[in-house]
Amino acid sequence: MKKLVNEEEIIHVAKLMKIELADYNIHIKKVQKMLEYFDILDEANIESEDLIVQETDVDKLRDDKHVIYDKKLLKFLKNYKETYVKAPKLS
Amino acid sequence: MNLGISALNYVNSIKNGDFTAEEFIEKSFERIKEVDDNLHAFLSFNDIALEKAKGIDRRISSNQKIGQCFGMPISVKDNMCVEGTKTTCASKVLENFISPYTGTAVSRLEAEDAIIIGKTNLDEFAMGLSTEFSAYGPSKNPWNIDYVPGGSSGGSAVSVSANECIASLGSDTGGSIRNPASFCSIVGLKPTYGLVSRFGLVSYANSLDQIGPMTKTVEDSAFLLNIISGVDHNDNTTIDNKNQDYLKDIDAGITGKKIGIVTEMTNPDGLSTSVLNATNDAIKKFEDLGANCEQVSLGMSKYAVAAYYTITSTEAGSNLARYDNIRYGYEFDSSGFEFNSYISQARSKLGPEVIRRMILGGFVPSAGHAGKYFLKALKVKSKLITEINHIFKKFDYLISPTVPIQPFKFGEKINDPVSFMLVDFNTVTANLTGIPAISVPFKIEDGLPIGIQIMANHMDEHSLLQAAYALEKTVSLPEVEI
Amino acid sequence: MAKIGLEIHGQLTKLESKLFCPCKADYRQFEPNTNICPICMGIPGALPLLNRIAVEKATLIAMALDCKTPNKIAFFRKNYFYPDLPKNFQITQLNVYGNTSIGWEGKISVADKVIRIRRIQLEEDPGRLIYEGANEKTKVTLVDYNRAGTPLVEIVTEPDFETPHEVREFLNILSDLLENLNVSDPGLEGAMRADANVSIEGGSKVEIKNIGSFHDLEKAVHFEITRQQSLAERKIEIVQETRHWDDGRKITVSARTKEEEAEYRYHLEADIPWIRINDDTKNQLQAHMPESISSKKERYVSKYGITSQVADILASDRYFSELFENAKNETNAKDVANMITTDIMGLLDTREKRETSKLSPEHLSDLVECIKSNKITRASAKLALDEIIKNGKSLEQIINDLDLGHVSDKEELSDIITQVLNEEAKAVEDAKLNPEIVNFLVGKVMQKTRGKADPELTLSLLKKSLDFD
Repeated sequence: MKKLVNEEEIIHVAKLMKIELADYNIHIKKVQKMLEYFDILDEANIESEDLIVQETDVDKLRDDKHVIYDKKLLKFLKNYKETYVKAPKLS
Repeated sequence: MNLGISALNYVNSIKNGDFTAEEFIEKSFERIKEVDDNLHAFLSFNDIALEKAKGIDRRISSNQKIGQCFGMPISVKDNMCVEGTKTTCASKVLENFISPYTGTAVSRLEAEDAIIIGKTNLDEFAMGLSTEFSAYGPSKNPWNIDYVPGGSSGGSAVSVSANECIASLGSDTGGSIRNPASFCSIVGLKPTYGLVSRFGLVSYANSLDQIGPMTKTVEDSAFLLNIISGVDHNDNTTIDNKNQDYLKDIDAGITGKKIGIVTEMTNPDGLSTSVLNATNDAIKKFEDLGANCEQVSLGMSKYAVAAYYTITSTEAGSNLARYDNIRYGYEFDSSGFEFNSYISQARSKLGPEVIRRMILGGFVPSAGHAGKYFLKALKVKSKLITEINHIFKKFDYLISPTVPIQPFKFGEKINDPVSFMLVDFNTVTANLTGIPAISVPFKIEDGLPIGIQIMANHMDEHSLLQAAYALEKTVSLPEVEI
Repeated sequence: MAKIGLEIHGQLTKLESKLFCPCKADYRQFEPNTNICPICMGIPGALPLLNRIAVEKATLIAMALDCKTPNKIAFFRKNYFYPDLPKNFQITQLNVYGNTSIGWEGKISVADKVIRIRRIQLEEDPGRLIYEGANEKTKVTLVDYNRAGTPLVEIVTEPDFETPHEVREFLNILSDLLENLNVSDPGLEGAMRADANVSIEGGSKVEIKNIGSFHDLEKAVHFEITRQQSLAERKIEIVQETRHWDDGRKITVSARTKEEEAEYRYHLEADIPWIRINDDTKNQLQAHMPESISSKKERYVSKYGITSQVADILASDRYFSELFENAKNETNAKDVANMITTDIMGLLDTREKRETSKLSPEHLSDLVECIKSNKITRASAKLALDEIIKNGKSLEQIINDLDLGHVSDKEELSDIITQVLNEEAKAVEDAKLNPEIVNFLVGKVMQKTRGKADPELTLSLLKKSLDFD
């Protein structure tokens, strides 16, 4: 997995994550270094491992009850005329 | 009035009438005024703290029922929601965010009449281990202000260590409670994953995050754990601890217990000389206490840091996606902007370390690299759990130095991401496996603290605190001078 | 031959609360942004709390569609940025670490065809967007998060459909099924949405999104097949892409390339543990599953002798099949069924009318009984129905109030007949030449008695009076 990270990939990821990057080159180097370090995972011999996950039973889940949230949440949020939340226009 | 007293001693003092809650809070604020311009532990203060203290004093004098905390001042890391307070996560993108609610751990403390005195500094969004990545400036180590206090719960550690408050709530994802506890010579506990509710904790890597107490003594840690732990219907990942009392029999000692010295975490090549010496001293102390110490290898720990960063960057990339400044955040009018460009510009206020992890978090799970990294990391995590379950069949505790090195100077580690990562080497295993781990202050060497880490099996905090208490009692450490 | 597959999103409108928080599942009555809380708004530190009944109802759907169901389900995050997503990710399900979604590999019959169900998953609905502003400069996107977090079941079919008509059939059957299971009211606005993928022989698969109604879906699929066929005829390549249905122009148009850039970085949702659904739970659900439509139909036909056509209509409608079940007894089932399909369905043809109707199963069985015992005529029964629906009074009371009692007393009827014969002298004359005219006279008697005269008795008395035999 010694794949070199190129500028195109960094640009693509920055777009995905909605991050503006001032200097792509710094990030190319940093990510490359990290991914190289991650290659150590290849040595771990874990192909056949089962995933251990947290589990619970369906009867422990929340009851289906409507509870009104009593604080006017909209007041804490950026709102437009106390009704909607305004978002930038979509292209 | 000694601001350096423990929480339990504070409670006794109040009960004895040695001083009032109001007096103590007032003195604490004086202390804060005295040192915090320099130390910068706090990001914001609670301006009704004094009023609350007066209220508690009134209730005490009229013999009403008072919560267990009797008005003790406690600080809270600024990545935890407390209703009506700014919760910035030490980031510019949440500069104006005011929490509409209080998280569970904090509400449980408030229900026991603790007073939240202020919110403390951290590495931005809890990503870091020195508090150098706070967007509001770093906190300083009270033992030597040229050195980092550790992180990401640096502000919390400083506030307790410098006697600005009695205790603090921090959060730990890869060592963020234990590391600064070790660097500042206080007790820091990361509970079992699921023991303390995360409701109210701003997520960094939600499969690993835990809230924990940062205190002056081990007993204080148990005292606070009693209050904040236990199942919470606001968090589906919490586990029932059947109301266990962590203070009970805390002084039982560790005679006959089996302690595993984790080989990979005590490798002389990986530790500074002073830390190596301290570790060997600690082993001797454990043996003097009647425990049997033996080397044990945790083979999978070799991959722990890589797995940790793979998992956390992926989860962080997702957890931080909501910070697009549309619903809350900071002042930045979106008029005239197009959606994608607005968000990217708004998020450019994220600090460089967070951005680095966002980029990594975009790479790791992405289709281009076949998402293989992430699945591998999950499997390493699983195998690590299996290995540790196996080890705890034989051992009662595992030990290591909390951090392979002593506190370092500001700017020393910040530019080398790989060496930076390895500072976490001893602490990430507990997060990946979910087991509880505590850092106990052990030594001051060249004026800088060294802590010893003890780990125990899942949900075994009661036993873990006994071992920590026993070790704590073998040392007598100097007071911080600042 | 075209190959069409569907991706249907059905809201579980019968739930009280949202999928991950206790806000109301049915958001339709609320002012903008008043059905929200820290969880569905993605406020930092708020964690998703899975709704137990949502898991049960979704499992019920999976079972009704003959799917395999897992012993453990898991949730994943689908990460992308959009204003209607409060967290900028959607919590949904995936089958990448084994089968962990609510159901997979099911099937359903549509006419004489079997449509395979690839997968069913539980997920949350995003908020709603409205646009304001006249021109590019002032255009603003306004977001209402009331719907964010509403429970959805996504049903993905294999591309087993071949015609738009089959698609429409399937959607109707699926709507009825969901309504019958009491998990959703598909008639509510926005409660069921569907996307389609279409390909023709040798061509790439094209996805069609943004379809407003099932009617539009049928049209969109039809248009797309035609479009692809004409491209193929001209030997032009059919590009694999996503297209949107333009309802104004009634065509599909290529969606912007942002669809191709979509990369969701799926990973496990760590705030929700994997949920164990054991066999006991599944058996309980199966045992309490409402009877299927086809089973009802079969029962109506075989046990009550109801015609296949009437049984079909009745069984497919949850409201009326329930009315039928509660009103019928051993002897009147067929009549009850007929009354419902002939008279009542027409009177209660909208949701509002059904909601305000005061008609009870007792009313219905009383009506059928009275007609059978000649207490009132069918015509009177219709009048009575109107009244009952409006004010719910007992049938007895209405018969009194409106004087709907059956006129079957021979003497009373004879008097009225005599009257009519006197008044309609011309008709009487005509009747002697054309026997059919007697029906006109029957009609006049009915008029005089306001429909209460027993038609058969009237006819026989009239014939006697006219000396017919």
